[in-house]
Amino acid sequence: MLEMHNVTKIYRTGLVETRALRDFTLTVDSGEFVTITGPSGSGKTTFLNVAGLLDGFEQGIYKLDGVDVSRLTDRQMSRIRNEKIGFIFQSFNLIPDLDVADNVDVPLRYRGLSAKDRKERIERAVGMVGLTSRLRHLPSQLSGGQQQRVAIARVLAGDPKLILADEPTGNLDSGMAREIMELLEQINEAGTSIIMVTHNPEHAARAHRQLHIADGRIVDMERIAPMPLNRIVAHPSAARA
Amino acid sequence: MLLYNLRLAWKSVLRHPALSGLIVAGIALGVAVSTSFVTIWHVLAADPIPGKSDRLYYVRVNAWGAPEPYDEEGNPPDLLTWQDMRRLLGASDIPVRQTATFKALAYVRPQERGQRPFQESLRLTTADFFPMFQAPFRYGSGWDRAADAKPEAVAVIGSDLNERLFGGRDSVGSTLRLNDRDFKIVGVLAPWRPKVRHYDLEGNPYEEPEQVFLPLTHFPAMSMELSGTRNSWRVEPGGMLETLGSSEMTWVQMWVELGSPADERAYHSFLDNYAREQKKLGRFPQAINNRLSTVLELMEEWQVVPRQAKALAAISALFLVIAALNLIGLFLGKFLARSSVVGVRRALGASRGAIFAQHLVECEVVALIGGVLGLLLSLGVLALVNRMYQPAGVEETFFELDPPMMLAALGFALLAGAIAGVYPSWRICAIAPAHHLKNQ
Repeated sequence: MLEMHNVTKIYRTGLVETRALRDFTLTVDSGEFVTITGPSGSGKTTFLNVAGLLDGFEQGIYKLDGVDVSRLTDRQMSRIRNEKIGFIFQSFNLIPDLDVADNVDVPLRYRGLSAKDRKERIERAVGMVGLTSRLRHLPSQLSGGQQQRVAIARVLAGDPKLILADEPTGNLDSGMAREIMELLEQINEAGTSIIMVTHNPEHAARAHRQLHIADGRIVDMERIAPMPLNRIVAHPSAARA
Repeated sequence: MLLYNLRLAWKSVLRHPALSGLIVAGIALGVAVSTSFVTIWHVLAADPIPGKSDRLYYVRVNAWGAPEPYDEEGNPPDLLTWQDMRRLLGASDIPVRQTATFKALAYVRPQERGQRPFQESLRLTTADFFPMFQAPFRYGSGWDRAADAKPEAVAVIGSDLNERLFGGRDSVGSTLRLNDRDFKIVGVLAPWRPKVRHYDLEGNPYEEPEQVFLPLTHFPAMSMELSGTRNSWRVEPGGMLETLGSSEMTWVQMWVELGSPADERAYHSFLDNYAREQKKLGRFPQAINNRLSTVLELMEEWQVVPRQAKALAAISALFLVIAALNLIGLFLGKFLARSSVVGVRRALGASRGAIFAQHLVECEVVALIGGVLGLLLSLGVLALVNRMYQPAGVEETFFELDPPMMLAALGFALLAGAIAGVYPSWRICAIAPAHHLKNQ
């Protein structure tokens, strides 16, 4: 699903260069659930940004779903983000002006789907996270856990192959965090690859593989559980079907 | 996607009412000022007889007999002498139509008991005047060319005079008594108010058309006072009527309607030949310098549109641009304040182009709101201008917003929106999505 070889990302501020990723090499298989831990400033979020095509990189090779993304145009990268990647953020990142349905609708709008198709996807995704009764609520009218579930519904509606989650439980209490983790595990069980950055060792331990990053490199990799064989090649949509 | 962007724009306007209001006010002010002054210029400079102005030619021949030229620019005299007009009018069959015209004053003596005589402006002209200048008739018609030749005692009156003398009824066949002579009314004009009096650009070209039209061949036999400009290079011997056929006084205007550029060239040659003939007779001592000018050319040459009007229109357009430039900062601040939302949209698949379009649409929505408000404000400004600077002799509303100007006002607003919005929209879409998300 994701292959990075010797990827280097440098931030430049005036004369100061900061190597946020150094010869970063990682392969994530389809259907795999990988967690990333590491201290602040270790390069976790930078990795997610590069992996999610939100930021470029200076050196190395990055293939996403078999496509070399290093020479894509902005439009092509936007299309990949829209169709293949789903983002879940620590601060939920819902658009405050838009109600639940409209928030879930955002990626579908950029995909150019018909109104009927969008409506079906929105209702199904919001139903999967148990918020059907809140379709017309604004984010400010929801609890933190509900907002994160809306963010997950937004991802589910887009039906991506890869989910990049940046501390999705970081702003939630333990009960809500557990609910979100269970939701993510269900999604992963349906075949979607997940890469999740977390500071919570308990949550990190629930993945198939746990990576530890320091100074822009993977310094430790632990396979916690083998990935079920039937999910190594299966795509989420195929698995759901 | 446009409808979606319009919806987002509207939500954004409502979310920041104070900021949106400030931007709307800025654009409204710019649009109001520019629309008002451009409308003034537009009204003054508009083609007064569209579709025909390029076929109507004002005739000038250089009959100026003094050694020095008529003016410093080397133009021929603005007007013709009676004798030249009489020789030229009808002498060539090149024009489709031709007419001569001038203004005079006479007393109208109402037939009704109790009504007192009153002075009225007359236009003395020929039969071709009415079709040439598209004078609209309510009743009857103009007189025919035979009436010019005799002349017949016929008259055409305006709608206001018809209302005053006959209560607005069909007065064709009735008698109009002017000074001490009776004229049979053959036509009554419908209300006619060209913004610019295109058939007579001398003096005040914004005056309303006269209310009485007579065959000009009545002039020698009638005692009436001329009311237009008169010029002569010499002191005329004797009274005007006695020396009419030999007077060098210029006071008559002449127009011809020509069907093609070839006809224009041919008629110009005709005028030059006439000048050569006159030279042989001892007149026209200066170089041959005859002129045929279309309505719009004459308006330009005689500066019918005051230069100030054009300058004000240009300055007001500049004012709009400056107002729009000042709004760049407000839009930029507004957009950058929601940078994180842009980051989310980029993460969810919005391309740079989509973000640019979304924000530009927002600028244009705000600009259009400002445009509508500016349009309403400009109505107020024009009402004020009408009250303060209405041209002399004009009673009705002179400076009005016509549909093309209303569309232009909205165009100004969209232009202002684009000027104010392109840079902020580009700026917000050019930032890397990760940078937006980092700014949360």
